[in-house]
Amino acid sequence: MAEITSKQSSNEAGWLWLLKIVTGLLIVVILVIHLIVNHMLGTEGGLLTYADVIAYYQNPIIPIMEAIFLICVIPHCLIGLRGIFIDLNPSPKTLNGISWLLTGLGAAFIVYGIWLLLAIVAQG
Amino acid sequence: MSNPQNKPSASNWFRWFDPRRRDVGTYAFILNRITALGLTLYLFLHLIVLGQLAKGPEGYDSFLKLIDNPLFLFGELLVIAAVLIHGLNGIRIALTSFGIGVSTQKQLFYATMVVAILGSLVFAVRMMIG
Repeated sequence: MAEITSKQSSNEAGWLWLLKIVTGLLIVVILVIHLIVNHMLGTEGGLLTYADVIAYYQNPIIPIMEAIFLICVIPHCLIGLRGIFIDLNPSPKTLNGISWLLTGLGAAFIVYGIWLLLAIVAQG
Repeated sequence: MSNPQNKPSASNWFRWFDPRRRDVGTYAFILNRITALGLTLYLFLHLIVLGQLAKGPEGYDSFLKLIDNPLFLFGELLVIAAVLIHGLNGIRIALTSFGIGVSTQKQLFYATMVVAILGSLVFAVRMMIG
């Protein structure tokens, strides 16, 4: 019988596991709102038109919510990817390199995402 | 670990994907990881594609036209199914991480998958009608 690798045997630090759980739960809440608004309230076959999107983003709660979503989902995703790399049993040095690479990628996408949110708001 | 084959290494990395002779918990793990990889791909494509919104209505509208076909609709259904499987199973993992429902986690897993299948069917029907 195969065992599920537990957090103890996977070398993933406990605080990263907790961060994945906390961001995961926040993602569930925000994703429900995100999906309802984007696919059920729209006028064009469920999808919002360009003008609808811009108008929707004029309410400051929306870009703030989407920014929180971004800040949760990127680390959640990248911590998960790191967990898959850990299964390759990398040396501590390689894992350190992977961690920095993923951190850089995540930071770049968070900066890009926030720039995009501001650019969308600015169209209004 | 009791089984030396379970020791992480590059040579047996793909064992996580091997569904033969597994316990239900491992199926949950495999499903969680496959959906995670799919959703990762989707997340980054989604963020890159949404860059069109910064360029004005032309790019956005032409993208909406591009994805208005059965192939992309099916892809969207896969994303919804992956979100439901990963999200609901994730709630189970969160609960058991804090010691809630540990003794009933197999039943909880089955229940989440039933909800995920039903939810995906609802979206599939909605897509076919819409």
